[in-house]
Amino acid sequence: MKKMLGLLLACALVLGACSSNGGTNSAGEGGNGGDGGDASKITIWAWDPNFNIKAMNLAKETYAADHPDVEIEIIENAQNDIVQKLNTGLSSGTTKGLPNIVLIEDYRAQSFLQAYPDMFHPLTDSFKAEDFAEYKLGPTSVGDTRYGLPFDSGVTGLYVRTDYLEQAGYTVDDMQDITWDQYIEIGKAVKEKTGKDWLSLDPNDLGILRVMIQSAGSWYLKEDGKTADLADNAALKEAFETYKKMMDANIVKIHSDWSQYVANYNSGDAASVPTGNWFTPSITAAADQAGKWAIVPLPKLTNNADSVHASSLGGSSWYVLNVPGKEAAAEFLGATLGSNVDLYQKLVTDIGAIGTYKPASEGEAYKAPNEFFGGQVIVQDFAKWTAEIPNVNYGMHTYAIEDILVVEMQNYLNGKAIDQVLADAQKQADSQIK
Amino acid sequence: MRRFFDRFKYNGLFVKMFIVMVVSIASVAVITTWTTINTSERVFLETFSITNSKVVEQIKSNMDAYNYAIVIASNNVLQSGSIRGFLTEGDGNSLSQMRAYYNMSQQIKRIHSGLDAYDVSIIVNGVNGRSFATDRTIWPISDKALRSHPITDRTLSEPRKLHYLYDDANVSGNPDVAPTIVASKALLDRTTGKVYGSMYFPIREQEFKRFYESFTSLGNDVAVMSGTGMILSSNRSEWIGQPSEQLLNYAKEIEKKGLPYMDAEMMDKSHVILSTYLQSLDLYVVNVIDKEAAIGQLTDTDAIVLTVMIIVAAALIIVFLISRRLTKSLTRLVKQISTISKYEFDHEVTVGGSYETRQLAQAFNSMLAELQVYVRELLETQKGQRNAELEALQQQINPHFLYNTLASVKFMVQQGSKEKAAETINALISLLQNAIGNVSATITLSQELINLKNYVFINHVRYGERIKMNYFVSPDCMGYHVPKLIIQPFIENAFFHGFNQKSEGNIYFMASKDGDSLVCEVADNGDGFDMGGVDGLPLPQTSRRQLFAGIGVKNVHDRIKLLYGEQYGVTIASEPGEGTRVKIRLPLIKG
Repeated sequence: MKKMLGLLLACALVLGACSSNGGTNSAGEGGNGGDGGDASKITIWAWDPNFNIKAMNLAKETYAADHPDVEIEIIENAQNDIVQKLNTGLSSGTTKGLPNIVLIEDYRAQSFLQAYPDMFHPLTDSFKAEDFAEYKLGPTSVGDTRYGLPFDSGVTGLYVRTDYLEQAGYTVDDMQDITWDQYIEIGKAVKEKTGKDWLSLDPNDLGILRVMIQSAGSWYLKEDGKTADLADNAALKEAFETYKKMMDANIVKIHSDWSQYVANYNSGDAASVPTGNWFTPSITAAADQAGKWAIVPLPKLTNNADSVHASSLGGSSWYVLNVPGKEAAAEFLGATLGSNVDLYQKLVTDIGAIGTYKPASEGEAYKAPNEFFGGQVIVQDFAKWTAEIPNVNYGMHTYAIEDILVVEMQNYLNGKAIDQVLADAQKQADSQIK
Repeated sequence: MRRFFDRFKYNGLFVKMFIVMVVSIASVAVITTWTTINTSERVFLETFSITNSKVVEQIKSNMDAYNYAIVIASNNVLQSGSIRGFLTEGDGNSLSQMRAYYNMSQQIKRIHSGLDAYDVSIIVNGVNGRSFATDRTIWPISDKALRSHPITDRTLSEPRKLHYLYDDANVSGNPDVAPTIVASKALLDRTTGKVYGSMYFPIREQEFKRFYESFTSLGNDVAVMSGTGMILSSNRSEWIGQPSEQLLNYAKEIEKKGLPYMDAEMMDKSHVILSTYLQSLDLYVVNVIDKEAAIGQLTDTDAIVLTVMIIVAAALIIVFLISRRLTKSLTRLVKQISTISKYEFDHEVTVGGSYETRQLAQAFNSMLAELQVYVRELLETQKGQRNAELEALQQQINPHFLYNTLASVKFMVQQGSKEKAAETINALISLLQNAIGNVSATITLSQELINLKNYVFINHVRYGERIKMNYFVSPDCMGYHVPKLIIQPFIENAFFHGFNQKSEGNIYFMASKDGDSLVCEVADNGDGFDMGGVDGLPLPQTSRRQLFAGIGVKNVHDRIKLLYGEQYGVTIASEPGEGTRVKIRLPLIKG
């Protein structure tokens, strides 16, 4: 009897112990976020709320009408942030936290595509390459494999305040097909008459230099895209000199970031913008300035025979990252910006965004006059200039070289000789990029 | 019903034992379960509080690191002459502007590199209307709006303090502003005491959350609260930007009393709250643990209760079987004993069952045996005592009787009736001879008849023959034995009491066999008496001088019962005026 009781007691204890273990496992779990993107949700990173974000929202609306089950989240980040996050994420090899679709500037595209060849999802089958402007395909492809869906055209023009021009005794016609020297002269007159600065520049962004040299078919790098081309680059030298002339003419307002840049024009503190067509929405954002703007062809380098009145600045394209949900993301891009003519019409009408999708240019919206710009058919003008853009190879190191040039530009402005400046820049670039 | 009660009566022990067992097992199970759950809850909460206070410390150190980075950056901004220049000087020409902006960007870039670990931007605003921002997307607010923003007002009102303030779409009135935590400080010229601008270090709440988010789980929430009770950041998005006075009071109490943690009721739920105050940031880091959610994960009460119930049921079944076995033999024993004490005193109980009941049964049986021996001895002793008593009585032949009889003989001799005297003397001799012999010995009925006749003869000699004596004895009874002097007392009774009123009558003696007993009857047709409806022996006291020996009717009855058993004895029936009838029932004794 005693034995039995002991056994019984032992059984009860063991059972008891088992049961009390049962509940404890679940406590430590939870708190881990989801990994990467999940299949039904597409995450998109882009910058510029007036342009890229708006365009993507339109695409999202179009797509959602046919695919109500797909959730699309568009996250705005500064371009530098995106670059930094992409570099961190892609180099660490984990795709956690990365989006499905990301916008990358054409200048940088190659550096990403070549540094992380496996991390991008090929889009060769998602759209027809021949439907897009040819100059966009180079930066977005590796060999024959298309990785980027070409988005906005970077075609440049010169936005100018006609009312200030008139106050200075000029008309829009005086601005047609001028050189940068003439541009500076007019600027001086405007500054004198109106007290307004002629243009706004950021000392850390030499976009205007890039615009100038590309108009002459030149770039920071040679044809191979790998060798720095600074010291003996006549176009670059003239661009540097032009830049200094602007500064010396005291017609430049300085900004340090995008919002100040836009604010300088929206507030009427600066009178002209030599930049890419994607600036249109920022200009039109100031509704009180309607009818006071015109867009004229870009000035060309005064002393460079190759220079034309057309260039490109900061176009970008959409890339799909090799993370879960990439098929859905590729399908989304293909169905919207890859083939939807109506969407491009809407982009033009609603945002003023000019795509590089050729079939879209047949649409009505591309031929419609823009009342903000005094009835100018700006899209057609841009389209005309697009055809004239000299093709250059942006290569992989555009911004690495620009970082050097930003410093050297300061030296130059402070009195260093131009040849020395460029020679020093060449030396640094040669040692940095190999 | 009755059977049920009987069963209950015999199984009383089992039922009581079982009920006690059921109650104790059930209460032990309930108490143990309750205590276990309670203890584990307490232990869990203790450990939870310990780990969570470590967690809170960790969060604190994360925040301190962040704060330190901000402080360093803000000091660098404050100490930078070029930044002060940028924010105070006039616009100048393009070239000087360019230099100012460029230098500014270089400065800020260097300062910002100290904050690279965090997704934070630097915004500075100057009194000259210039501003500089490393990244405006984190806190998309225009310079104009910023100048009249509540955060700026707060910052400028206490220019020496580094503020941690909260902004979102509601506070700023700008729909693009996501929940943001802004560290801000006025730019104060130490030498002149003038404010020349303000700087802001905005970080998205989403990023700020990372300082603690990995420590949170379901029911284990963290909130970062400003000194005024505004929740700046929390993993619970619905708390963000909400003032919580209640939580602030708890946090202050914890801080004041130095408690490791405290229990609190919030939103109708019981919570454990841990808190630490970051002096330098004027922020509270509050860890709110929902007891129910946290402990709900720990103990699966249903499973525990189910297991305990199964164990209890199993224990009860086993207890039932064991106690049933234990008590069954005992019950049987008790049943036997209770019937034995009623009916069968000489039966032994069956020995069986467990050791205890076996011992008990054996003890009972030996006790029973001893008791029987004792009773038998007692009976023997009593019989002997009675015999001795009778013998003593028998020896006492009444001297009056002898005297009277001898006096009668003397008269006869004097009168010369020698024949009759001799006859009387002979009867007396015979009578005495029988009476004086062994009292326990029996004599044949015919011998007893001779004694009776002698006694009657003597009485006739003394008192005359007005009472006649008649004998009717069945011849087959003559050989049976009867105890000595058993009938004589009844004849004597009839002679001396039966005819007090009537002057003459008859006495009949009858003997016959009735079944296996011998029935002797003494009947008279004398006075009779009133029995008073009671069967018994209400015999009148006889005058001592008339009696032959000391043996009375009562003695006879007792003696017969003692010798032969309950079914034998004397019965008397009488009617006044009709006579008395005495029936003596005896066993058939041969030789």
